[in-house]
Amino acid sequence: MEILGALTFLNTYTLAELEVGEHFLWKIGNFTVHGQVFLNSWIVIGLLVIASLAATRNLQKIPSGIQNFMEFVLEFIRDLVRNQIGEKEYRDWVPFIGTLFLFIFVSNWSGALVPWKLIELPSGELAAPTNDINTTVALALLTSLAYFYAGLKKKGLSYFKHYIEPTPVLLPIAILEDFTKPLSLSFRLFGNILADELVVAVLVLLVPLFIPLPVMALGLFTSAIQALVFATLAGAYIHEALEDHHD
Amino acid sequence: MFDFDATLPLMAVQFLLLTALLNAVFYKPLMKVLDEREDFLRSGDTGSKDKLAKAESIVKEYEKQIAEARRESQNSIQKAQAEAKEITATNIAAAQQEVQSQREAATQEIEQQKATAFATLEQQVDSLSRQILEKILDPELIK
Repeated sequence: MEILGALTFLNTYTLAELEVGEHFLWKIGNFTVHGQVFLNSWIVIGLLVIASLAATRNLQKIPSGIQNFMEFVLEFIRDLVRNQIGEKEYRDWVPFIGTLFLFIFVSNWSGALVPWKLIELPSGELAAPTNDINTTVALALLTSLAYFYAGLKKKGLSYFKHYIEPTPVLLPIAILEDFTKPLSLSFRLFGNILADELVVAVLVLLVPLFIPLPVMALGLFTSAIQALVFATLAGAYIHEALEDHHD
Repeated sequence: MFDFDATLPLMAVQFLLLTALLNAVFYKPLMKVLDEREDFLRSGDTGSKDKLAKAESIVKEYEKQIAEARRESQNSIQKAQAEAKEITATNIAAAQQEVQSQREAATQEIEQQKATAFATLEQQVDSLSRQILEKILDPELIK
């Protein structure tokens, strides 16, 4: 009986509760917008911009401190993009893929590291922007647009020839690919981040303190990997569009 | 969970704006710095290669000079040795000559003194033999 009493005592202080699909809605004209997603994305954007400004405010030939760190980040991104797209054309795509990586990475980690629950919102809760399907679909569609743009810019209308090459038999699959790419990109990211947050929330609900910690650490790892996967795949798709099949 | 609304396009626009902004404040300046550093290192590399080649040529030059100096010193040593030999030879010859002449002079003097000594001896022999005779014989007998 005492144990049960302790349990009910714990339940009176809600350490965690599950909220899925509740949003802090803003109305703009006839449209509704998920406010918590934007609030958090602004925090992420602010972080990125402040870090960039701090790094580039006083550029030195021999870097130190924040400049050193951001150069390390940039070199990581540059190597990632160069590995995917190749030496010749990677430079144009560093900003896009790099921003994808940074935005997703910082978003994921902000969701995993910061106890947003402590900040009260009228409804819904602050969380990683990437655990909202709107964000991931937006990023995935931008990636699709990016690789179409890359292909069309380089090859003109003959870009569309790759649908019927090497054989027109594969045309349906080639068309299907243009839909599966953004679909898989967005759902992979959305699913991973949402699932991670749900697992942590459920574990905290069941056994508060300490037990969820390994899962949280795993969540940090998954978050980083998902950011890397998204950026790498975006690079791979763009490279595929830029690739010359014949010449 | 899958409620799409205006968040999607707004997020896309916001992301593009972020890309443009980061391109201006992050990628462009830092890429420039990285490229410049790479250029600097590459030029430093060739510069150091030049310097190395120069240093090697200088070392070669110095080695040549050292070899020359060594040869020269060898020459001068040989010359000095030859000169010294010559000088000693002439000195020895001169000394020998002098010794010879001095010996000759000495023998001559000895000869002379011997002769004078014999002469005085003969005189003394004469007077002594007279005295002996006088002692032994009657002085009258002698006259």
